[in-house]
Amino acid sequence: MAHVVLRNLVKTYGPHTAVNNVSLTVNDGEFVALVGPSGCGKTTTLNLVAGLIPITSGDISIGDRVVNDVDPKNRDIAMVFQNYALYPQKTVYKNLAFPLQMRRLPRDEIDRKVKEAARVLDMTHLLERKPRELSGGQQQRVALGRALVRDPAVFLMDEPLSNLDAKLRVQMRSEIKRFHQDLEATIIYVTHDQLEAVTMADKMAVMNGGFLQQYDSPAQVFNHPVNMFVASFIGSPAMSLIPLEASSANGRTVLTGEEGWSIELSPHNARKVERSTTKKVVLGARHSTIKLSTSPVPGAIPAKAYTVEPTGDITFVQALLSGAVVNISVPPTMPVAPDQPIWLEFDQERMHLFDGATEMALEAD
Amino acid sequence: MTLATRLADAPLRENSKEPGVLQRAWINRADYLYVLPSIVVMLIVIAYPIYYTIELSFFTTPPSLQLRDKIFVGLDNYSLILTSDVFWRVTANTFIWTIVSTFAAFVLGLGTALALNHEFVGRGVLRAILIIPWVISAVAASYIWKWIYHSNFGVIGAVLVSLGITDRPPNFIDSVSTVLPSLIVVNVWREFPFAMIMLMAGLQTVPDQLLRAARVDGANAWQSFWHVTFPHLQGVSTVTILLLAVSNFNSFIIPWIMTGGGPSNASHIWITHIYELAFGRQRWGIASAYSVLLFIIMMTLGYFYVRALSGAERKDRG
Amino acid sequence: MTSMPSNVATRPRKSIDGWRWVGRLFLALMLFYTAVPMIWMLITSIKSGFAAMQFPPQWWPNEPTLASYYKLLDPTSSVGNDFLRFFWNSLFVSVSTTILAVIVAVPAAYAFSRFDFPGRKFLFFTVLLRNMFPAVIFLVPLFILMRLLGLVNTHGSLVLTYLTFGLPLAIWLLKGFYDNIPHQLEQAARIDGASRFQAFILIVMPLSAPGIIATAIYSFIGAWNEYIFAYTFLNKNDQLTLPIGIQRFFSENTTDFPGLMAASFMMSVPVVVLFLLLQRYFVRALTEGAVKH
Repeated sequence: MAHVVLRNLVKTYGPHTAVNNVSLTVNDGEFVALVGPSGCGKTTTLNLVAGLIPITSGDISIGDRVVNDVDPKNRDIAMVFQNYALYPQKTVYKNLAFPLQMRRLPRDEIDRKVKEAARVLDMTHLLERKPRELSGGQQQRVALGRALVRDPAVFLMDEPLSNLDAKLRVQMRSEIKRFHQDLEATIIYVTHDQLEAVTMADKMAVMNGGFLQQYDSPAQVFNHPVNMFVASFIGSPAMSLIPLEASSANGRTVLTGEEGWSIELSPHNARKVERSTTKKVVLGARHSTIKLSTSPVPGAIPAKAYTVEPTGDITFVQALLSGAVVNISVPPTMPVAPDQPIWLEFDQERMHLFDGATEMALEAD
Repeated sequence: MTLATRLADAPLRENSKEPGVLQRAWINRADYLYVLPSIVVMLIVIAYPIYYTIELSFFTTPPSLQLRDKIFVGLDNYSLILTSDVFWRVTANTFIWTIVSTFAAFVLGLGTALALNHEFVGRGVLRAILIIPWVISAVAASYIWKWIYHSNFGVIGAVLVSLGITDRPPNFIDSVSTVLPSLIVVNVWREFPFAMIMLMAGLQTVPDQLLRAARVDGANAWQSFWHVTFPHLQGVSTVTILLLAVSNFNSFIIPWIMTGGGPSNASHIWITHIYELAFGRQRWGIASAYSVLLFIIMMTLGYFYVRALSGAERKDRG
Repeated sequence: MTSMPSNVATRPRKSIDGWRWVGRLFLALMLFYTAVPMIWMLITSIKSGFAAMQFPPQWWPNEPTLASYYKLLDPTSSVGNDFLRFFWNSLFVSVSTTILAVIVAVPAAYAFSRFDFPGRKFLFFTVLLRNMFPAVIFLVPLFILMRLLGLVNTHGSLVLTYLTFGLPLAIWLLKGFYDNIPHQLEQAARIDGASRFQAFILIVMPLSAPGIIATAIYSFIGAWNEYIFAYTFLNKNDQLTLPIGIQRFFSENTTDFPGLMAASFMMSVPVVVLFLLLQRYFVRALTEGAVKH
C-alpha cells in the first residue's frame, strides 16, 4: 500500500481546462472519494492518476515515486471501471489471470492467486463463465476481483456502482467498504453520488468545474461546507440557501428577506457578517435545523407550505422564502397541507452564512 | 513560466489557438506508425500516377516514338477533345449509363429490401440467391449475358420468337439503338444486390416503436413508410446512391467485354474510350487529358461524397 | 348492412395484405431476373457444343454431358492445363492480397478509430477519396511504375495494386468494428500491465475477428474478380489470372459456349461458396461502415 500525492495538477483539452490546479494527499490506507456533478473533472483526475491520459502540468506521486511519465502498467495500480470493462472473450478465470500473466508470474502462482481472489469474493462457481453470462452484480464482483488479485499499491474506482440497481448498489457499497477495511487498501473512488461518498469514504474531495472545492472528512464537509456549492451538493435533500440583506444598527445585526421579515443574528453569527464587507448574505439551513409550527410563534417567520412530501418516517415540507425553496422535515404526525400558513424558526447554532457575492462561507475568526 | 502565471493565462487561452500542429504531431508521433504502412502504399500507387497523368496531358505521343520522347503541345489535347463529336457522344452515353443504372439499381434494391423486411419461410435462402450476382466476377457476368443476348442462339430472342412477339431474334448488343439499354440491364443485374444489402441494414435501424406508434396513430402502410421508414433511410440512401454513381461512372468491364464500345461507339463510355485511346491507339496524351477532365468531374462528385459520408459520421457520433 | 362494421375493422389489415402481395410478386420477379441467367449458364455448360448452337434452343439438353468440365479440369489437355494454372494464379494473387490487406488495414483502421492525432480526419477522407478515381487513370503511370520496380508480368504488380485499391474500403469496414469496442477495455488492459501494443494484440484484435474475417473476404473477392489491371500488367500466358485467361480462351474458341459457361461457373464457385459460408460477417461489415446505429 502507498500514499498518493497530487501537486498542482492541471489537464487542458485545447481551450477547455478539465482539471484546474488540484492538490491533495491520499494517505496510506485511506479511502478517498472524488465527488462532484458530471463534468466536474473527477474522472479526468482519476485517469490522470492511472496514467491513461497525459497530464498537462503538475505532479503525481504514488508511494515516494513521481509517476508523471510512467506507463499505467508500471504504476502499480488497479482500476475498476464503471462498465466493468471485463474482457468479453475471456472467461472469469482468464479475466482474473490476465494482469498476472502480464506480470509474467509462474502459472501455479497465478492459479493460486486467482482461486484465492475468487474465494474471497465468493465466486469460485463462476470461474468458467464468460462475462456476458453474469448478472450486473457478478460482473461487478469480477471487476473487483481483477483489481484485487494484483495486490496493487492503490485501487482506483470509477463509479463502480452506478450501473447497478438501487438494492444491489447498497449491498455492494457495504462490500466495498468491508473490502477496504480488510485490506487496509488505499482507494481513490470516483462517484457523482454524494451519499456513496459520505457513507464509504474516510475523506472526500468535492470537485466542481475542474477545481477542488473542499477536501476533508465527510463529517467536516457536511457540517462545515466551505462554500455554497459544497453546501448544496452534499446532503439530501439539498441545503436550503436563502439570499438575504444584512444590516447593522445599535449593535444588532439583522438579516431581512424579500417579503419584509427579518432575523436577528446571535452574537457569534453577527460577528461573521460584520467581519465581511458584503451586505448580501446567503443563509444556509439543512432541513432538520428548521423548526416548523402550524400556529403563530413570536419571532418566527411566516410562510406558506408549497408542497408536502411524506416519505414514511419523515415528511418533507417545501416553502418559498425570499425567492428560494426551503426544505423542512417534520414528523409524519404533524398535520401540514399545501397552501397552509406555517411559521419557521432557524437554529442559530447550526445555520450557515455565505457571502452572496463570493459564495464563500463567512467565518467568525 | 511559473505555475501561477500559467494558471492566470488559462482563461485567456480560451480564445487563442490550440498547441501548434507540429507540436501536436510530435506529441502523437507514435500514432502515425499505425497509419504509416497505408500512407506509404497509397503515396506510391496513387499520388505518383495522378501527377504523371496531369503531366502527360500536356504532351502528344506519336505511336512512332518512345513514351519518354513526348512532345509538348500545351492545351491542344484539351481543345481537341472538347471539339470532337466522339467526346460528346461518349459523354452522353456515360451520363445515361450512370444515371439510369444508379436509379434502377437503387429502386430495385429498395424494393427487394422492403419486401424482404419481414419474416417468412425461405427468406435467408432468397436473400442469398439475390446477392450472388454481386459476388461473381463481372467478366463471368458479361459472358453469361453475352450468351443470353446472342443474336442467333440467345435465350431471350428464342423466347420472344416462340411467344410470337418477334419474327426473328432481336440484335440486342449489335444494334446502335438497343446496345446501351441492354448493357444497363446487365449492370443493374450485378449492382442492385449492393443497394439491397445497404438498405436492409438501414431498415434495421428503424425503431419498431415508431412504426407501432404510427400504426396506433392510424397510418396506413404507405403513410408509415413515407413518414417513418423513409426518413430513417435517408442517410443510407445518400451513401448508397453516391457509391453506386461513382462505381457506374468508373465502369469498364461490362461494355468492354460485351461490345468493346461498339457498334460505332454506341456503347463507349468514358473509361472504355480512354482505355482504347491509350492502349488501343497509343494516344497517351489525349487519354491523359481525358483522364484529367474525368478527375475534375469526379472531384465535384467527390465533394458531395465526402459531405454525405461525414454527415453520416456526424450523425452516429451525435 | 351487417357487413359495414366488419368492413371498417378489416380495412387496415387488407391494405397491409395488399402491400404484402405486391412485395411477393416483386420478389418473384427479382428472383426470376437474378436466377435465370445463372440457370441458363448451368444448362448451357452441360450441353455439347453442337446442342448449344441450335435454334430454337434445347431448353433442357437432350444429352446432358459434363464434357466441358472434364476438359477444363484435365491437366493433360492444353485447355485444362491452362485453366488449372489460371486458377492457381488467381488463388495465389487473391490469397497474398488478402493476407497483406489484413496486415496493413488492421493497424490503420485501429488508429483511425482510436487516436486523435493531427490530420486524422484528413487522412481518413483521403483514404475514402481513393474510391473515387477510376482504375484506368492509374493504368499508364502504374504500368511505368511497375516497370521501374521490375514487377511487370509478375503477380507482385497485381498484389501491390489490389492492396492499394482495396485498402480504403477495408479500413472503412474495420473502423466500424473498432468504433464499437469500448475504450475502457484497452484502458483496463493497460492498467493490468499491458503496453498499448499488447492491449491491441491481446484484447482488441480477438474482439474484432468478425471484422477481420469480413475484410479478408472482401479483399479476396475483389482480387479474384479484378480484370483491368491484370489485363494490362500481364501478357505472359503462364501468369494470367482467371478473368483474363477466360477472355483469351474465348477469343480463340469463339463458338465454344458450353466451355465458356463451364469456365464462368467454375470461376464463380470459390467466391460464391466463400461468400455464402461467411455472408453474415460480410454483410454486417459492409453495413457497419456506412449505416451503423
